Amino acid sequence: MGKVTGFLEIEREEPRYEPASDRIRHFGEFTVPMSEGRVVDQAARCMDCGIPFCHGDTGCPVNNQIPDWNDLVYNGDWEEAARNLHSTNNFPEFTGRICPAPCEEACTLNLEDTPVAIKTVEQAIADKAIRSGWIKPLLPKAKTGKSVAIVGSGPAGMAAAQQLARAGHDVHVYEREPKAGGLMRYGIPDFKMEKDHIDFRVSQMEAEGVTFHYGVNVGVNSPLTDLQQRHDAVLLAGGSEKPRDVDAEGTHFNGVHFAMPFLVQQNRRLGGEDVSEEIQLTAAGKHVVVVGGGDTASDCVGTSFRQGAIAVTQLDVRAQPPELENKLTNWPNWAVKMRTSSSRAEGAIREFAAGTMKIIGNAKGQSRALNAPASIASANPLPGLSLLSRRTRSCWPSASPIRSTMAC
Amino acid sequence: MGTDTPISALSDKSKLLYTYFKQNFARVTNPPIDPIHEESVMSLVSFIGPRPNIFDLEGVSHQKRLEVRQPILTNEDLEKIRAIGDMDTNQFKTKTIDITYPADMGAVGMEAAISAICEKAEAAIAGEYNIIVLSDRLVASDRIAIPALLATAAVHHHLIRKGLRTSSGLVVETGEAREMHHFAMLAGYGAEAINPYLAFEALAALQAEGEFPAEVDAREVVYRYIKSVGKGLLKVMSKMGISTYQSYCGAQIFDAVGLKTDFVKRFFFGTATSIEGVGLSEVAEETVRRHRDAFGDDVVLRKALDVGGEYMYRIRGEKHARSPDVVVDLQHAVRTKDESPETAQDRYNSFAKRVNTGENGYLAIRNLFDIKPLGAPVPLDEVEPAVEIVKRFVTGAMSFGSISREAHTTLARAMNRIGGKSNTGEGGEEPDRYKPLPDGSSNPLRSAIKQIASGRFGVTAEYLVNADALQIKVAQGAKPGEGGQLPGHKVDWIVAKTRHSTPGVGLISPPPHHDIYSIEDLAQLIYDLKNVNEQADISVKLVSEVGVGTVAAGVAKARADHITVSGYDGGTGASPLTSLKHAGGPWEIGLAETHQTTVLNRLRSRVVLQVDGGLKTGRDVLIGALLGADEFGFSTAPLIAAGCIMMRKCHLNTCPVGVATRDPVLRKRFKGTPEHVINYFFFIAEELRGLMAELGARNLKDLIGRSDLLDQKRLKDHWKSEGVDFTKLFYKPEPLGGDTLYHSEFQNHHLEAVLDRKLIELAQPALDSGTAVQIELPIRSRDRSAGAMLSGALARKYGHEGLPDDTISIKLTGTAGRAFGAFLARGISIDMVGDANDYVGKGLSGGRIVVRPSDKATFVPEKSIIVGNTVLYGAIAGECYFRGVAGERFAVRNSGAVAVVEGTGDHGCEYMTGGVVVVIGQTGRNFAAGMSGGVAYVLDEDETFHDRCNWPWSISNRCRKKKN
Repeated sequence: MGKVTGFLEIEREEPRYEPASDRIRHFGEFTVPMSEGRVVDQAARCMDCGIPFCHGDTGCPVNNQIPDWNDLVYNGDWEEAARNLHSTNNFPEFTGRICPAPCEEACTLNLEDTPVAIKTVEQAIADKAIRSGWIKPLLPKAKTGKSVAIVGSGPAGMAAAQQLARAGHDVHVYEREPKAGGLMRYGIPDFKMEKDHIDFRVSQMEAEGVTFHYGVNVGVNSPLTDLQQRHDAVLLAGGSEKPRDVDAEGTHFNGVHFAMPFLVQQNRRLGGEDVSEEIQLTAAGKHVVVVGGGDTASDCVGTSFRQGAIAVTQLDVRAQPPELENKLTNWPNWAVKMRTSSSRAEGAIREFAAGTMKIIGNAKGQSRALNAPASIASANPLPGLSLLSRRTRSCWPSASPIRSTMAC
Repeated sequence: MGTDTPISALSDKSKLLYTYFKQNFARVTNPPIDPIHEESVMSLVSFIGPRPNIFDLEGVSHQKRLEVRQPILTNEDLEKIRAIGDMDTNQFKTKTIDITYPADMGAVGMEAAISAICEKAEAAIAGEYNIIVLSDRLVASDRIAIPALLATAAVHHHLIRKGLRTSSGLVVETGEAREMHHFAMLAGYGAEAINPYLAFEALAALQAEGEFPAEVDAREVVYRYIKSVGKGLLKVMSKMGISTYQSYCGAQIFDAVGLKTDFVKRFFFGTATSIEGVGLSEVAEETVRRHRDAFGDDVVLRKALDVGGEYMYRIRGEKHARSPDVVVDLQHAVRTKDESPETAQDRYNSFAKRVNTGENGYLAIRNLFDIKPLGAPVPLDEVEPAVEIVKRFVTGAMSFGSISREAHTTLARAMNRIGGKSNTGEGGEEPDRYKPLPDGSSNPLRSAIKQIASGRFGVTAEYLVNADALQIKVAQGAKPGEGGQLPGHKVDWIVAKTRHSTPGVGLISPPPHHDIYSIEDLAQLIYDLKNVNEQADISVKLVSEVGVGTVAAGVAKARADHITVSGYDGGTGASPLTSLKHAGGPWEIGLAETHQTTVLNRLRSRVVLQVDGGLKTGRDVLIGALLGADEFGFSTAPLIAAGCIMMRKCHLNTCPVGVATRDPVLRKRFKGTPEHVINYFFFIAEELRGLMAELGARNLKDLIGRSDLLDQKRLKDHWKSEGVDFTKLFYKPEPLGGDTLYHSEFQNHHLEAVLDRKLIELAQPALDSGTAVQIELPIRSRDRSAGAMLSGALARKYGHEGLPDDTISIKLTGTAGRAFGAFLARGISIDMVGDANDYVGKGLSGGRIVVRPSDKATFVPEKSIIVGNTVLYGAIAGECYFRGVAGERFAVRNSGAVAVVEGTGDHGCEYMTGGVVVVIGQTGRNFAAGMSGGVAYVLDEDETFHDRCNWPWSISNRCRKKKN
């Protein structure tokens, strides 16, 4: 275990962020890495619980053996820690950056104290492993002579491809887009995870014998039956990009968009792909309303700020959650409580209990205002415009176009 | 004891053969030994080679054996033995037999391979070889090693059957053995010496990687490993009261749990097995799977060891009955019952379902039981109400000191409120918790069951009279036969006060009760306690293992009112790992045996039978009842209800939820309430009622002992568990002549005519109003526990403070029976003219005892024994003066009494933590072993005391000893 009394002596610490004013001026990652010594201190807080709630059904969905690598880090054996971490997780540098960390919610210390900074330790192990050159292609002892097709190169497709290749199969990944990564590359903004991490893994996997076929949209420009004929097995690992529409009038107006096209375009732009053919979706100089309160909404908020939005308002259909949950009846489950993502902290105006009823456009078909009653709990929704008219009066010049990015 | 993983036969994992065996431990007779403080009686010396002819008194055969100081051989030692035949003029010739076989023969090939090895061993002896080394050195990707234990036991028993075992030595060279239990088992099945080469190699590799401090070189690592294995072996041997490795070697001190009878008969002949299970083909299959994991190309195992998960929960590892979900469901259910009963019930149902069905794999053998109905279902409202059922529930013995006052009182409050019973554990109880409230009502913090363990901490007459039940813990709870230790950092001033010891100084509970070396001694202790508190039921706590039924029958004959049988699957966090995994069996087996044996011997009706060990749900209670339990003990589960999250860090004082800690900061984190515990017990009771209604039973009593209603689920798709068979457990003996299958009668303790009735009558003025009285009476050896009942009466009225010294002044003449002056309370002085037997002043609670010979005696008093063995055991306060010499273990576990004696036997002042002992004369050997407090003055006229004192302990604990 870490240090026996570590949790009593050491405070939780997470990596700091660049100040919001600085970080919204670029699209890159903005966490300031912690020194190795301070990460070790954080690992020392782990108590090696008899039942590690962080690991298992209540915690880490990929079953990271968290207490084990916390201990290894505390004892300075980073290489073994990296090996242990990779035994459950093919790409810990991804999860160390973008996972919401249910492990920390489930950490025993979260019950009466502040949880171990598990995600921070995970990222530190993963980054150090890559920096130190410990991540090498792992070749199978023998090939099986079987071939597997994997449709989609998102996290699931990539992890499956790597495991199957290491088991000795001949693996072919078919990807619609020009690069691998799926949602990880095209959905997640660079400020949360820069894409060279994916490139690194792709090159590792290519060395392990995985063949990537880009621009193949199975079922559209390449029939599935072809794959079935060419391979012994086909694994469908496609993502889910179908948005959930808002059940409200006026979503057809100009300036109303779903999250994914908006985020994908920005990622293509940053990735050097040609987006000149597309309608340019950018928040620069605009007032943005983001409908939705989850992580994707947050990504839209952060992207909007970086593109130069004048103001961003976020509408969350749920009531404002409490600052702190009742730990005794909730821990170790994911708590419904007030959470402020880094993007929201960059200056978004948040409205709670704000259901979108109607989007109002002008004669030119541009969206002008959005009708969202202040309380969805009320039996009679407040007559229109209560929310946005207030906003309109206070900060929205009437001539300004409104773009509403819908995040579901 | 204290693990919650399934027995190996039910595990989905490939388990080592060692794990199918549980270590036996001494219970009442042939008590365990303390191998640390009584090291002088222990020996690891082993003899390798043919045994000499014991009738060869003239020494004509010149037969020789190799002597090793301890049985773990370094690689060099083994090579010496292997090459010994090369030397001229020696009588040894060593044959190494390979115990691996070709991997392509698979699991089915193992049987033939074993037979071949046995034949080779036989042939070797015919070929004049007299040391056989069984070796798995040749294990490789193409050669599978037969489990070393199986090979050893097979050869051992083959040679016994052929009458050749004494013609040869047996040495095992194996990469498999690494844990304490492995070595103990190899020894138990015949290995005279063991070379664990892979353990050495692993240590050397770790050393080379710089895992150890700089001063530890490769040789030192091996030396230390061997030394610790030796210490561990001594511990395992001592649990059974065995002193020497030579006695342990081949003694088979194990029970098999989950092995087929024919398999055991063939390879482990003479070992008890009760529920059948796996046989050779399954063991072979497990071996092949392990071999495949080791040499195959598993992506995870390529560069890492299997995660195990035996002690701590790990997803890929072994299953645990207390999984994260189980804990969470239970805690959320009890915490939300009052606000939202329905969702709370759902959470409880989810908890119960996980536990009862074994849906994630079988965790306990009761998961494989089916229950047949008693009759047609009955309406739920006709079933015995929950408020009656919960009266059969008790919480387990967890000592104050090991768990916090907050946690301890929460359990007590809850149990007092629902009419169940809570248990003090062995740490005593603070008087403010048991003294009645000012209005005379019972204190809500009082634990109804007061425990008496080998440490006797805080066991005063006052403590004993403030109890409804007195429990004698025979096998040190979670670590049977091992004794216990409360580390110094947990002994704060309040624990020290409660235990009558010194803050910061660690406290030892000896492995045995030093006043129980036989069943008669146990009867005596029961008699002592019953004398002090006639109203209390005397309970004896036993641990489940094969043979527990016989012991229980003896305990019932010793007039215990109550017997507890504990299973292995309790949840303690502080048990040594070897005991955690390898001692104690499932309660289902122990309970069934106890119930059947007591019914057959017409003892069952007289005792209350209680079961504990990992009970969690109403179905668990139901199965306990069907197998014969009247009462049900819960420890870990109510503790979880009160907030325990199974950190398993109880020994570190860092419990983050304030349950098992003395740290005031951490104790503030305790959020449990009595309501949580009460809610939990009512959930169980209601679940049980639902099951009873389905089964057609209105009263729980109708189900007790109805093991005929149990049936076995058939496992069809399990690769190794299909062979288990519970027929022996489900056997239902018929009660004879008016007996019942449940508790229905009371023991006759024969207390009508004890001497103390007369003493109480004569001392009535003192008891009533503190008026001084003087009593003179004769005493005979059949007057046992003299003074105990009087002390109980006094303590009931005046507490531990008692009366002024000499208020009740008694002069007795004659020969006192055993336990003279037991628990004698302050205010009572006994001047005994004559002599006294064993256990004088046991638990002395402030009284005064003088034993002196009659003036007419013709012997020399200072050279004669005047009192027997184990005098002042567990004495708390008071004074003793003996004109003469005492027997062995004088003032063992003395916490505060002052004693003067003219000589003692061996082991004087052992484990003493307080008080003053003056020995005006010689002591025996091993004086002051484990003594961590108090002062002893010894008259050392011939200056030989130095050699007879166990100095290291005494000095390290700054116990002053003066040379007079």
